[in-house]
Amino acid sequence: MKYFALFALLASLASGAFAHSRVDTTTPENGAVIAEVPAGISFNFADDIRLTRVEMTHADHPSVQLDLGDQKSFDRSFTLPLTGMGVGIYRIEWRGLGIDGHAMQGEFTFTVE
Amino acid sequence: MPDIWGQAAILTKLLLYVGALGASGLVIVQIAFATATSSLTQRLRRQAIALAGLALVASLLGFMLRGAALTGGADGMTDPEMLGLLWQTPVGEALLYRLAGGALIIVGSLISRFGHWGTLVGCVLLLWSFAQIGHLADIGPFYVRLLLLLHLLGVAFWIGVLPPLHRLSRTPDHLSQAAQLGHQFGQAAMIIVPALLLAGLVIGWLLTGTLAALISTGYGQVLMIKLALVAVVLILAAANKLHFVPKMQAGDANAARHLARSIQIETAVILVVLAATATLTSVLSLPS
Repeated sequence: MKYFALFALLASLASGAFAHSRVDTTTPENGAVIAEVPAGISFNFADDIRLTRVEMTHADHPSVQLDLGDQKSFDRSFTLPLTGMGVGIYRIEWRGLGIDGHAMQGEFTFTVE
Repeated sequence: MPDIWGQAAILTKLLLYVGALGASGLVIVQIAFATATSSLTQRLRRQAIALAGLALVASLLGFMLRGAALTGGADGMTDPEMLGLLWQTPVGEALLYRLAGGALIIVGSLISRFGHWGTLVGCVLLLWSFAQIGHLADIGPFYVRLLLLLHLLGVAFWIGVLPPLHRLSRTPDHLSQAAQLGHQFGQAAMIIVPALLLAGLVIGWLLTGTLAALISTGYGQVLMIKLALVAVVLILAAANKLHFVPKMQAGDANAARHLARSIQIETAVILVVLAATATLTSVLSLPS
């Protein structure tokens, strides 16, 4: 039991990110407030990565998985088409694999008014 | 708290450490102290095979868990696309080293004609896998990876002596062999333990960079916990070497029972050290 307690303590200290997120910029920017739903979203990373999952949540709707299409190679920039769902807060969560083998993840939000 | 995948990754890594270091250590100790461990040959081989098997299973499970991290769900663990992707990165290379190393240890322990040296190559492959990926492989020049291999070989040697020494100290008939093994290990440890500590400290310094990072970051804090636990293990080991083993050499069977108890405590603390290390290498990011 003592060891479980220690394990829990160690794990609780481990509040750092599981992944190494090194996204440089996104379009729209994180926190941006824009007037129209963009036709697509794009990511720029510091190093080559391969996107593996991108999910979008709009307002209170359940999240939907975005189609990665043919963007199935290691690259630094990606653009994905977006289906507009009207005004509200859009939250984009992404996961990917760095060329060095690290799993990466991150998220950003933007608001359409 | 890391998410469920992070926690599973830590536990799997801990099992991998126990398997890889334990199996390698048993092989090294059987070669280094052949006479003192001669009465336990079959037993130590069986243990090495079991631990190498554990390393193989944990390696595969760890690889699959990385697949889950890519999709954010259990489906990623068996998703051929995700696992295929991982295979192309250094993670795949490390898995290959682990599978080859674990298999060599098992084959070498089963077939005595295969010889010690083939088994030893298996140990080096298995331990070298840890220098292929992770924080160190990202930042380090080649010599730092060699330093990590040296560190791991030293740790394996230390861990590997514990099962035979524990077993022999608990069997009164083997008191002289226990004393011999304890003494020989103590002599070798005078060089190997400082070397492994120094290698570990240099690696820790390269990874954290500043003293402030030791206090202010989660990575630094867990590293400090690890060092404190290592200090406890060192105190126990020093008591074994300076107190119990000399008494055993003088024929004191009571000292052997104390040594066996001390080794049990040492093993428990080492497991926590490995858990701290698994946390450092799985979920914590380096201080930037």
